[in-house]
Amino acid sequence: MPGGYMNDPIVSFRDVSKQFDEHMAVDHVSFDVKSGRIFGLLGPNGAGKTTSIRMMTYILKPDTGSIEMFGQPVGPETQKKLGYLPEERGLYKKMKVGEQLVYLCRLRGLSRNEARERIRYWLERFGAYDWIGQEVGELSKGMQQKIQFVATIAHDPDCLIFDEPFSGLDPINSEMLKQAILELRDQGKTIFFATHRMEQVEQLCDDIALFNNGKLILHGDLSKIRSSYGHNSIRLRFSGDSKFLNDIENVRINNRSTNYAEIRLLDGADDQDILRRAQDHVRIHAFELVQPSIQEIFIDSVSK
Amino acid sequence: MIQKQKLLLIIQREYLTRLKSKIFIVSTILAPLVMILLLVLPTMIQVLSGERDRQFMVYDETGTVGNELVANDSVYYRLTESLPEELRQSLIRGDIEGFLVIPHEILDGKGQASFYHGGTAGMTVTSRIRSDVQRIVRNIRLDRVDASQEVRTILADRVQMENLTISEEGEEEADSGFYMFLGFIMGFIIYGAMFGYGAVIMRSVMEEKTSRIVEVIASSVRPFELLMGKVTGVALLGLTQFVIWAVAGALLLMAAAPLVTIFMGGNGEAAQMAEASSEAAAFSVPAISPFLWIGFVLFFLLGFLVYSALFAAVGSAVDQESDSQQLQLPIIMLIIIPLMFLFPVSDDPSSTMAISLSMVPFFAPILMPVRMAVLSLPFWQVGGTILLMILTFVVLIWMSSRIYRTGILMYGKKASFKELWKWIREN
Repeated sequence: MPGGYMNDPIVSFRDVSKQFDEHMAVDHVSFDVKSGRIFGLLGPNGAGKTTSIRMMTYILKPDTGSIEMFGQPVGPETQKKLGYLPEERGLYKKMKVGEQLVYLCRLRGLSRNEARERIRYWLERFGAYDWIGQEVGELSKGMQQKIQFVATIAHDPDCLIFDEPFSGLDPINSEMLKQAILELRDQGKTIFFATHRMEQVEQLCDDIALFNNGKLILHGDLSKIRSSYGHNSIRLRFSGDSKFLNDIENVRINNRSTNYAEIRLLDGADDQDILRRAQDHVRIHAFELVQPSIQEIFIDSVSK
Repeated sequence: MIQKQKLLLIIQREYLTRLKSKIFIVSTILAPLVMILLLVLPTMIQVLSGERDRQFMVYDETGTVGNELVANDSVYYRLTESLPEELRQSLIRGDIEGFLVIPHEILDGKGQASFYHGGTAGMTVTSRIRSDVQRIVRNIRLDRVDASQEVRTILADRVQMENLTISEEGEEEADSGFYMFLGFIMGFIIYGAMFGYGAVIMRSVMEEKTSRIVEVIASSVRPFELLMGKVTGVALLGLTQFVIWAVAGALLLMAAAPLVTIFMGGNGEAAQMAEASSEAAAFSVPAISPFLWIGFVLFFLLGFLVYSALFAAVGSAVDQESDSQQLQLPIIMLIIIPLMFLFPVSDDPSSTMAISLSMVPFFAPILMPVRMAVLSLPFWQVGGTILLMILTFVVLIWMSSRIYRTGILMYGKKASFKELWKWIREN
């Protein structure tokens, strides 16, 4: 599959808007997504991520604007090439794992035999093949999450959409999911990834789109965006009384805890001055000048 | 626009998973048993309580009537010398069940026999005693005047009346009692089925919503396809259940008919034989026209479709069953209203009220089969109603799918009627 759509955008939003009552859920949004990338849809709850995804999956229709996928308007045909893991997850509790997965694959256009083959592969891969004859409701939550993941990818879609994929996952399943996502990306699949927990996506995303109040406030290649900000942030690890941080002027402090702080330098702030003041008050374990975090970029963009 | 293959897949899933479910198997077996029990129980109770040996004292002033009564049934009647006042006392004490006073002048066509009992004697007992006394008194009086056999026959004869229904195929003998009964049963079965299958649809929509699978499904098919698939699948399930019941019922009737005759013909005496045979005639099933069967199945199906569209909309608008009560209320009212008109409509099925009520698409599934059972209806009424119901279904399923499409994505809040209306109008 890699190479197929390498240069053309896989998904493009053209001036898309969606309104619920008086509320603009998505407000004139345009962006392109290229294949083989992990694309992060980021923003606080209610920013318009899920609505955008629902329009991409043809569950909702935009009020204005258009969405294209694989070069055609979204619709029943593009739905077949999608794997979607919604934020609200679930399966038919009374249906057996195997029957259910076959049903979901066939709804996406696979033949019964193709579906069986793929399901077998993925279930074996996750060590879940023994559950094939069990009702989903009888499985533990962790097991159900694995089955749900198989349901999302088993029909071998070119484009995968994960809405808050890590919420409710235990660390083991979380890591498993992360590895699987990276592997799928390496196979050339395009992956969408929506979350409000921005620190989660720093290691995963190639591109990002930042949403706030339905508007797209920033999008593009994550590393380019970050380097455009320069090394204007400090990561400080320390022990001692952190009160001195309150007195520093012309900075914004993020992710502050009892022994850690991210300090964004604003106009007129000098990193060496901050280092000296820190030395006077606490023991310093680490002091590093870095590019800003996504959260910092988000806050910065919103405040502009 | 509908993708046939996906629709078929959905229908298949909705049908097969339910066909294999315990609830389907259990309800297929239990529902007719409950029905039979409800029909048979009253008769059985009557028969069982009738088994009890009852005895009534007879204080006879005529000297003949009492003897005849005892000769007729020596367990039921017993002559006594005690005076009515003494009998009254023992009745109060509970020593006897009741007593009969036959005055002297009754043989002269004057006065009246009196039957005393504690509490209520029951209809069967009273009517049996009355007919026994009447028959005996009449015979004695006829003997006194040396009435000829001819006169006796005339007196004993009942005027026969045929009950004929004229239809386009000609005339047929009809037992309107039986057909009324049949119509009632059909009406009630459809009533139960609409509630039962409506609830199946509603729960199924709610289950998909609460288990959160619906968003995954909605990313593969249109909500309208999912809804149509569900409704069709469950309708097929209902048909399957009806076919199973019909086949089982036909087999049972074939097996039961000879049994009934044997059972009824079992009593030796001539008078009872005559009675029994007339009862057996009432029990033997008069021909049921195939049109009635077709109408019954058709109105069940259409009724199911109309109401399932409504129930599906309710299911999609709520998160849990307890929230559904308020939204269900108008639907339940619509189903119950025709039940209240069941008697007047079957009593006078050609009245303007009966015609117009039975043509209302929401009432038709119950009232039309009832009318079809007792009357052969003009084509325009049946055909027109079917057309109206199909139109109603199309409008409702369209409205419902619009509610559904929004409702399935709404979590955590219960929609009001106002909101539902807004969802319908939204584009």
